[in-house]
Order: sequence, then C-alpha cells, then structure tokens
Amino acid sequence: MSRTFVEMAGRRLSLSNLEKDLYPSYRFTKAHILEYYRRIAPFILPHLKDRALTLKRYPEGVEEDFFFEKRCPSHRPAWVKTAEIPQEDGERMTVCLVNDLDTLIWAENLASVELHVPLARASSPETADSMVFDLDPGDPAGLLECARVALILRDLLSRMGLASYVKTSGKKGLHVYVPLNREETTFGDTKTFSKAVAAIMQKHYPDLVTAKMAKKERNAKVFINWSQNDASKTMVCVYSLRAREKPFVSFPLEWRELENLAGRGDSEKLQVVHSEAVSRAEKKGDLFREVLVKEQKLPHL
Amino acid sequence: MAVQGIWSGTISFSLVAIPVRLVTAIEPGRVSFRLLHNKDYSPLARRMFCPKEETKVPRDEIIRGYEIAPDQYILMTDEELESVSPERSRTIEIVEFIDMKEVDPIYYDHPYYLVPSKGGEKAYRLLVEVMRRTNKAGLAKFVLAEREYLVAVTPRDGALALTTLHYSEEILPDEGLSPKKGKIAAEEENRIKKSVKQMIEDFDPGKYANERRKRVMDLLAAKAKEKAPVEAPAVEEEEGEGPVDLVAALEEGMRKVKENR
Repeated sequence: MSRTFVEMAGRRLSLSNLEKDLYPSYRFTKAHILEYYRRIAPFILPHLKDRALTLKRYPEGVEEDFFFEKRCPSHRPAWVKTAEIPQEDGERMTVCLVNDLDTLIWAENLASVELHVPLARASSPETADSMVFDLDPGDPAGLLECARVALILRDLLSRMGLASYVKTSGKKGLHVYVPLNREETTFGDTKTFSKAVAAIMQKHYPDLVTAKMAKKERNAKVFINWSQNDASKTMVCVYSLRAREKPFVSFPLEWRELENLAGRGDSEKLQVVHSEAVSRAEKKGDLFREVLVKEQKLPHL
Repeated sequence: MAVQGIWSGTISFSLVAIPVRLVTAIEPGRVSFRLLHNKDYSPLARRMFCPKEETKVPRDEIIRGYEIAPDQYILMTDEELESVSPERSRTIEIVEFIDMKEVDPIYYDHPYYLVPSKGGEKAYRLLVEVMRRTNKAGLAKFVLAEREYLVAVTPRDGALALTTLHYSEEILPDEGLSPKKGKIAAEEENRIKKSVKQMIEDFDPGKYANERRKRVMDLLAAKAKEKAPVEAPAVEEEEGEGPVDLVAALEEGMRKVKENR
C-alpha cells in the first residue's frame, strides 16, 4: 500500500492508495476524490457540521461492495470530533462529526465516497431541522417525471406558506427540502405533514405519483418517499459524490433552472458531474444555504 | 484531543479551577442484534401495553407511580420529581484526597476521562503531576444527567481519569456468603499456595480478547458473503391521510395549484 503524508493546520495525515481508481469506468482515482472534496469543502462543511456522519465506504471502488459505518472508527485520530448519540436499543454510540477540512479529508481517505447525514444535529437528535421529500422514480419514469412532481410539490408547499429547495440525488431522483430550524419541530411532525402531502399528491396525480413504498406500486411513477423524515434515517448530504459509473454530485438547483430543463425535456442536463459542481458552486455560492437557517413553521398540525 | 465531551465544566479544589470536558473511557464490545418478526423481517418496536384493557397506551396517558405495597402506588409527577433533583452543576469539586488503594473495587462504577479545555492545559498538567507524585486520588461529588455521583479522580498516563463510584448503600452486604470457618490443613494450604505461585503473571489485559465477539463478527461476515441480507418490508403505516385541518388545507392548496397550471 502506498502512503503519502500531508500536513494541514499542523496536523499530519497519512493518505493511502491515492492512485487507486475508484470510478474505473471514468478513471477517477482516490486522489481525484480528495481533490473534489478539498475544493467543495467550503460549501459542504456547513451541511455536515455537528451531524452524525454515516460513512458509505467503497474500499474497492464504486463498482464493488460497499459498507455503511455509523460508529466512528476507533482508529480515528484524536482530533476527530465525535458525539455520543442514543440508539434504539438504549445504548450510546460514538459518531464522527465532520466539522473541518481535516476530518473531511480523513473520512475521504477511508474511501467514504458518499457522505450521509440525518435531518437533525447530533446535540438534538429528535429535532427535525428540515423536512424532506425524497422523489424516487420507478422505471421507465426518470428525472423528467421527478422534475414535474417536484414543481407541483413546490407550488403546493408554497400555497401552505412554505419555501422549499431542490437538489439532485446524484442517482435517479430529486430531493425537495423544506427548512424548519425550530427547536420544537419533531420528526413526528414532519412525518405526519409529509405523509399527508404525499397522499394528496397521489390522490390528485394518480398516474404520476405514488406515496406507497412497495416496488410494484412504483412502476412508471414517482414515489414520494416521506418516510425519510425519521430520526433514524439519513440523507445523502448536498454536494456529496454518488457512487455511480460517473462521479455525479447531489447538487442544488434553482427552481427556475429546473423549470427550464424540464420544459426542454433535457434530463441529462439535470445531472451535475464533479468538475461542474465545483465551478457552479464557486460561481453561484451555496444554493442550499437557506436550508440551514430559514425558520419555518409547519401549519395546521 | 478535540473529542466532544458529554459534560463540560471545571474541576476545582481550594483556589484552583481547571476547565475540563468529560469523555467516556470505554466502548462496550457488545454485538447488538435487532429483533425481527420471522414472517416478514419487520424490525420489532417496544410499545407500552395495558394488560387489563389489552391495548397500546399512548404517551400522554402514562404517569409514574411508586409501589409501596402490592397494587398500591404513590403518584409522582415530572415536576415533583424535578423539584427534588440536584441542580445541574458546572464543577467537579474535590473535597478530599484519598489513597485509591483504600477503595474496594466493588465501588467502581463507570470510567471516564477528563480532558483539559482551552486554557486549562497548564494547570491540568500540574494537577496530574502532583497527584501522580503524591499517589493520591481526589474524591468529589458532581451532577451528571440529573443524578449526583460520588467520583474518584485519578492520574493515568499524564491524564486524569474519573470513575463514578457506587454509594455505600448500593453495595449489598456479603454476610452469609462465606462458609463457616473450619480448620485448614497446613499441607493442603501449602499445596494450593504453590500452584498459585506457579501461575503468577503481570496483568496484561491485551492478552485476552473478547473471543465471542470476534467469532460472532466473523460468522456474520461469512454469512453476509454467502447470502444477501433479508430485507424489512416497507412500512405502510395505518391508513388515514392526516389531521383533518391539514388535509383540508392541502386540498384547498392543491385546488389553487391546479387552477394556476
């Protein structure tokens, strides 16, 4: 195994196997992955901060087996910040908090191509600081159908007085976020609300939408997965790479942009690859910033 | 170490106060399993159940009672319980220095480390060094998660360890456990002493691994390779669209959305 030592802010990090091709169909090595995360760091770090990280590690590349790691590895350096979070069985678990660039690079050196985080901060695991609609198309529906559903969803939420924000999943779907950022909002609230929204959407657009998880119900429809609004679930973090044949990114879009692309029927353009993600973020800033700060109250609960 | 603590405050005695954080010193090596329903692999949940009515009891119908006799309870509200709970404290106040050898290990409860916070490093090092040289442990009381603990603070490899101790009233008496005294033959005693001596070693905990945990994890890895995991079914919660007001508001919102498309 080859090793390279780097020094950052006085901390020495040992990076291994930098030349390893982790996206073999695209010739994208671990060094490329580290470079992507180094450049996107100013944008992704605020969204990872103080959240229990789930590492999704692909030690043999994105075409081979992966494994999830929720517990912060015990071989972590002493400076990696951690938190203790209660688990369903009542035991406490030590998790990593990615609050700085060093920790991000350390996590990426473990080949954790994808970074997943809960919709709550580690210090308040029961407070949902946003509500999410995970739009997942069933074949042959795809990104275009997702975009149609996302735009209707945006309008409906807006009628309810709620602003929403959209990002690509980096796989086949879209994620619509509603910032809440109020201490008293529980996952019970977001689940009740999102489930009711999904049910109404299915009722009014039965050919386009399903609110049911069963695979057979999803055929050619967009599944609005409201059940992600749960303290035990995680979502792929905005700006995270995804493990596909190409290094696509879960990337925020402007609603206007989504309207234009959906209008033109150009689903390929909806995917954002690593290099484009960096240049667009540097140019436009963090389109998901409001998700972290905007305070909104769910009505009629 | 920049570990986020489970408590932060100061450790103090006489005029010294050092900012510190408390971090846990052990990670239990227990392999935990979820309990599943064998019919469809749904993970099972715990629910409060009333055996009399044979029904689930919602959270807002659950209260606390202290059983003073069979089927007789004194009720206690959360507010009442809170009124007698110790106030959260920000200090670990050392009240005595003791010889740790005098503390029977049966009193040891849970081990933690104390980590110096910013600005406290120098005083922390000094305290560690003094405690190491005098070979003493600091005895203190402190409040963690609404409970007041008696704790021993000891130096350990240049750092401070904190061990919560059981209160003496928690220790069960051992009277009646030891058999009646009888005569021990000198010859027999010598024989046992000899075998003990032959087995004397330095304590090296690294020599012993949690064999069962390792075997369980190996078995899990092998099984995962062999066969795909079973999958829990999608959670279809009970039907119903949600609170009436919300559903009405969504219907109205949807009507307007459709009008404008």
